[in-house]
Amino acid sequence: MAVKAFSSEWAKEFKDEVNRSSVYKTAAKGWKWTVGLVVEAEPDKHFPEAKGIVMDLFDGEARNVTVGAASDAQKCDFVITAPYSRWKEVATKQLDATRGMLQGKLKLKGDLPTIVRYTKASQEMTECTTRVPVEWPDEK
Amino acid sequence: MARRKVKAPVEPPSLVDYADPEPSAFASMLGGLIEANVRARPEKERDFEVLVARVGIFVTDIHEGVTLDFKGGRLVVHNGLRQRRTLTIRADAETVMSLSNLKIGLLGLPVYYDSVGRGVAGKLLRGKLKIDGLLPNVITLNMVTRIFSVQ
Repeated sequence: MAVKAFSSEWAKEFKDEVNRSSVYKTAAKGWKWTVGLVVEAEPDKHFPEAKGIVMDLFDGEARNVTVGAASDAQKCDFVITAPYSRWKEVATKQLDATRGMLQGKLKLKGDLPTIVRYTKASQEMTECTTRVPVEWPDEK
Repeated sequence: MARRKVKAPVEPPSLVDYADPEPSAFASMLGGLIEANVRARPEKERDFEVLVARVGIFVTDIHEGVTLDFKGGRLVVHNGLRQRRTLTIRADAETVMSLSNLKIGLLGLPVYYDSVGRGVAGKLLRGKLKIDGLLPNVITLNMVTRIFSVQ
């Protein structure tokens, strides 16, 4: 059943999907930093308020994924920021996250060598988002 | 009583300059990556100090390029491909990321026998990774790879 985009239910489904992925488990061995995703508001797309997704990832496991204020996500070790519709493009495979970062469509803050070292893990994490069935607010 | 002067902490001078007033996201990312690598690892700093070369990197699936102008201890990053390049690397985004994940082995040579290295070598053989100016500049390419690698 589809869950509301960037809701607490979505966070739980996403966390379970990451923890089911053997590819992620292997590629993220040694990862020990928090990751925040900031989803910027787009009121015209029925996404009126910015949200922050805080991911507690450790050594190939998603220990916790929560949805809250954007300011919570901004405190993480790595922060990726984009408007709602860009995240939707990522989650529906219309935008590759690596390309998006190189093009500045997704803005990354954090230690670059570390994130580049874990490119495969971040690609698999993007794959996990595409496997969660989502109800998008602008498609109602 | 004599007053002691309190010195403000001095920021180290930037190793990387951007030629364009608004560097592209790709230019900022590569410049930031190289600066972080060089500052963190003395062996990369040694290469950076002596490397003089103009290296173009063009990402084929986003149609964006940069020119890395290494000037022996300084780097100037240009948006787009500039003229008089020593080497030009053309590949898709995933392969460019793989290049920065190549391990460096004995004698400072990139490792092409592990999974990342085999992937890069395979793309070179299949023409999905093109390096203009490779043959006369193998040593330069190895230095650039060492500076670029996060491994």
